[in-house]
Amino acid sequence: MTGRDERRVNDPLDLESLPGQARHVPDDDEEEEGGGAETASAGPAADREGRGKDDSEKLDQYLLRRYHLHGDRKAREQLITMYLPLVRSLARRYASRGEHFDDLVQVGAIGLIKAIDRFDLSRGVELTTYATPNIVGEIKRYFRDKGWSVRVPRGLQELNIRLNKVIDELVPKLQRSPTINELAEAANATPEEVLEALETSQAYNSVSLQASPNGESGEEDAGLIDYLGGEEEAYDTMEDRTTLAPGFAKLDKRERYILHLRFFEGLTQSQIAERVGISQMHVSRLIRRSLEKLREEIGDLDTPMPPRSSDDER
Amino acid sequence: MAERISLEVPATLGALSTIRIVLGGVGARLDFSLDDLDDLFLATDRLLGAALDWEELDSLRVSVQVDGSSLQITAGRFGSAQLREQVAVTPGNCIDLCTVLARLVDDVAVQDDGECYNVVITKQRTESAA
Repeated sequence: MTGRDERRVNDPLDLESLPGQARHVPDDDEEEEGGGAETASAGPAADREGRGKDDSEKLDQYLLRRYHLHGDRKAREQLITMYLPLVRSLARRYASRGEHFDDLVQVGAIGLIKAIDRFDLSRGVELTTYATPNIVGEIKRYFRDKGWSVRVPRGLQELNIRLNKVIDELVPKLQRSPTINELAEAANATPEEVLEALETSQAYNSVSLQASPNGESGEEDAGLIDYLGGEEEAYDTMEDRTTLAPGFAKLDKRERYILHLRFFEGLTQSQIAERVGISQMHVSRLIRRSLEKLREEIGDLDTPMPPRSSDDER
Repeated sequence: MAERISLEVPATLGALSTIRIVLGGVGARLDFSLDDLDDLFLATDRLLGAALDWEELDSLRVSVQVDGSSLQITAGRFGSAQLREQVAVTPGNCIDLCTVLARLVDDVAVQDDGECYNVVITKQRTESAA
């Protein structure tokens, strides 16, 4: 694929031009298997002239026929590639809700694939018309199942991301944990906004392994997955009293290590963050999650009150 | 005269957010560090979460008293013997409620109040802050 082709494929809302890459849209009978893909990817310069919606619809229909009537997988793959800009465009509408944009594109792509696979040639509708609600539906379903457990305004999510950075900068600079007022000043926010943003971080259920630790989506940033790496030797050298403590079997090594540092070694969250190489806010979340696991595990051994109804849960 | 803030919120986990916001506001005014505040949030959450496990409550009553550079949080009125035991006694190597509270705050006390009792936790500002 040429550089120009790459630019166009990645250009959202440039749908009409994409199928127009076809220099010639052959009839179903005149093309051998795989020929459609080759034809459709050729000659981008020539397509701009005189190629419009009709051509794109013809190409769609041609590829859909190739796939549904002849089982041409390449035609299917080409349809997916052609309509990825539509997926990106729709995913972008939901990008402010705290999920990683690339994750949303992947989820939307599943909706696109379902639309292509289920497309009924006899109904005479355009693929775009059929695919759009499928893609949006898949993304909405994803949000229903994952992500923020409560709706957090975009401004607070962005402040939360900024705070993560600011905390990481201020701790080494001040050689101590910053105060709320210091965070507010550094993040160009009020103390009330800082407190509210910190509170919103508790509403987040999941963290994408592809997301950068500071929550940004820049391609140059390392993802959390890059920080997981190999086993930390210190995880194995913690005292027996920790590893033998009730409920600890339910925790992974890193969770046990962090609880050990906090509750037996007496390190602060900032100190733990520095030692483990993750953010203070992430340490805070891990401690909370680990203690909750312990509570559930140890609680099973006791006989507490009956569980509260689900609407009590935050 | 020491400043005192009284709260009564529904006995649900979701309502703990309101308590954290109030604690955060007062703590920020006292120049508590983020670590101190997060410890205070966690200690309060664990205590009140345990209370919700062991007590049948309609509401949670919490009062916050500002005393110089420390915050004193009083939660109650509780009646559960199990909760009282969890707050006061640690069975050794377990990271239980008692251990968690002891590590996160400076003082934990149980105050009898007739047939019931209150749990009082105190968090002092770490002097290296600000």
